[in-house]
Amino acid sequence: MGLTVEHIEKSFGQLHVIKDLSMEVKEGSIFGFLGANGAGKTTTMRMILDIIRPDSGSITWNGKDMRDIPRHNLGYLPEERGLYPKVEVQEQLLFLARLNGLSKTAAIEQLDEWLERFEIPQYRNIKVEELSKGNQQKIQFLATILHDPLILIMDEPFSGLDPVNANILKDAFLEMHSRGKTIIFSTHQLEQVEELCEDVVIIDKGQTIIRGSVREVKRQQGRNVARLKLDNDSEALWLDALEGVQVTKRRQDYIEMQIQSNLNPNLIVEEALRHGAIISRFELTEPSLTDIFIERVGKATLQDASPAIATQAGGMK
Amino acid sequence: MARNTVTPSEKPRTEQETEAVAVSLARSGNQNNLRNIGLIIEREFKNRVTQRSFKISTAIILILIIIGSFVPTIVAYISSISNSQTKVVVVNNAGTVAGMNNIALQQYFNATLNAATPGQSASTKPPYLINTVTTDAISNLQKQVKDGSTGVLLVLNRPPGQEVQYTYYTNADPVRDSNVSNVQGVAAQLTILDRASRLGLTPEQTSKLFTQPQFSTVNVGQSQNNRSVSDIVAGYILAYAGIILIFMSVYLYGVTVANGVAEEKGSRIMEILVNAATPFQLMTGKIIGIGAAGLAQMTAFVIVGISALLIQNPIKEALIGNNSAALNLNITGNSITLLLILLVYFILGFLLYATLFAAMGALVKRQDEVQNAIQPLTWLFMIGYFVSFFGIYNPDATWVKVVSYIPFWTPTTMLMRIGVGSATWWEILLTIVIMIVSIFVCAIFAARIYRYGVLMYGQKPSMRQLFKIARMK
Repeated sequence: MGLTVEHIEKSFGQLHVIKDLSMEVKEGSIFGFLGANGAGKTTTMRMILDIIRPDSGSITWNGKDMRDIPRHNLGYLPEERGLYPKVEVQEQLLFLARLNGLSKTAAIEQLDEWLERFEIPQYRNIKVEELSKGNQQKIQFLATILHDPLILIMDEPFSGLDPVNANILKDAFLEMHSRGKTIIFSTHQLEQVEELCEDVVIIDKGQTIIRGSVREVKRQQGRNVARLKLDNDSEALWLDALEGVQVTKRRQDYIEMQIQSNLNPNLIVEEALRHGAIISRFELTEPSLTDIFIERVGKATLQDASPAIATQAGGMK
Repeated sequence: MARNTVTPSEKPRTEQETEAVAVSLARSGNQNNLRNIGLIIEREFKNRVTQRSFKISTAIILILIIIGSFVPTIVAYISSISNSQTKVVVVNNAGTVAGMNNIALQQYFNATLNAATPGQSASTKPPYLINTVTTDAISNLQKQVKDGSTGVLLVLNRPPGQEVQYTYYTNADPVRDSNVSNVQGVAAQLTILDRASRLGLTPEQTSKLFTQPQFSTVNVGQSQNNRSVSDIVAGYILAYAGIILIFMSVYLYGVTVANGVAEEKGSRIMEILVNAATPFQLMTGKIIGIGAAGLAQMTAFVIVGISALLIQNPIKEALIGNNSAALNLNITGNSITLLLILLVYFILGFLLYATLFAAMGALVKRQDEVQNAIQPLTWLFMIGYFVSFFGIYNPDATWVKVVSYIPFWTPTTMLMRIGVGSATWWEILLTIVIMIVSIFVCAIFAARIYRYGVLMYGQKPSMRQLFKIARMK
């Protein structure tokens, strides 16, 4: 069953922020919650957490209204990171864990275990403001999970992390996943969604525009992506003349193109050979989430935002 | 309540959410109401008392209190050891004065001059060393006065059949010379004794002349309830001290509450906190935690101050011997009652203002905006402070009585009225009840504002919007 969000609406004054938004998160899954800045992700997350309430619609966990779910079952990592800057790591993590229902001894036990896992036990008695950003981020993550919540809701947990720390965090995600936790997170690094998530939802202007499993979403696009590398012709300008093929990127290492699903990809290889090319790479793949995101959200944003952009440009003259 | 004139597409997200983001009430977090509030109180208290600024300011104020309370003893002690002996030479060319010969006269001067200055112990030198001689060669003695080896030269002469004439020689600065008035006093007394003896009175009759009349004071002012004068004076002193103490502490700790809320908002930890606890729990815990830290600090000040004063009697005795009545601290039953009332009004005043300070703190974005945001409260509080100081000269005026019933001004104004004795016990009870009711009303009002404020990072709402928020459920 998991988490079900059904037809929620939310307005702030005259601003209609969330419009008929629905999504479903399977229990125990990792769920990607995507959308451009200002799409309503944070508002939706706060409503799932019952920090604020939707004007209409329902949010349930395994059929039970979210309002009746004890708080300590939820862990929240807000987009704007927040800890007491002048308080030592141990002290504030214990306070937050106890506030979330843990006994003091249980909280200390959990803290020891996780500081060890994150390789930061030496920071136990250091004030948060004295830590590097990456380490602050780890502490923030610990503040979210120390009380062993069932549902983790994380607003951009990976932002600002270097690859090493991002990997540690990713491992922690997988660890929580293996413990059966449900993880909902938003991010702008869509490769991570492809790597971690089973299901995604993409929202724009408070509305769902794409939802489903990552594989489904990609298949629904009705297009494939081909990557081609020719040793003796890095531009391959003849590709532009091919019907049903649209070149999207000409990179140093390959050329990427979208091909319509009814087009036989062999055609491209034949055409290349006809031009005397030496093929060093040819692969067919699904479109990346980034492509889909930019295509769907970019379009929607462009149509709607054009007057605003025009005003801005006018103002800059 | 939220008005928006900007089109949605132009408005950045953070501001879209600024207006009326209410944290939901009555969530399942309520199940742990007491536990959560307890945890927050513990954190706030510990956080406050372990802060370096708190420790340092407490230490400095404690030191000032100790120094301040020891000042009278120190002054008395310094004057007692630095007081050099004044050598007095009495030249008696008047023969028998008041039936006393030279030796008796020397004893008389010794006893009366040295008794006139209190605060001397047997171990230290008496302030005057008297030497009585009979000689005509006073020019030699005058020289001694000039070079300072003799402090005072007093020459007694009596033209035949007339009164004793005194001539006083000194080289001391006339502005600072306290000896002359002492000696003059003794001379006046001696002359009266001399007249009495010349009139033929017996020593018993003479001593009767000097007995004090029976004299008692009764104050019939309507409000004083026959309190003794020392009680009234103690009441005034405690009222002044109490008003200042309440004013400073309630304001100081109230601002601490506002700052604490703003700090949690500014550092954005509020976003995590509102997931774990309800806004009401967060507000209550913060107010009580900071209040407890403040009360602990105040208690330390009062206890140290009183013990420093009490400890001085033994010290004073060891240093300077006898007690002078002027320095005695007289804690009567009335003063203790006043201290208890002070405590009650401090707690009530703090709770009332702290809820409002918390609400104001919840409305700012960052900590540096707190000072501006709490300005209305500062003014509100100042009014009560000034009224209590102006009212002290006219505590029975109707307007002062009216003001003392308005809860925001009750703590200072009532304390003043109690101190000067213009309040009755039922008025005290009534104002306390009014304050408790107001605290509940303000807490509900503040909790609602808090609920909206804690997640709001945009424009500050206007007063009208605030009242709308407070009325919403």
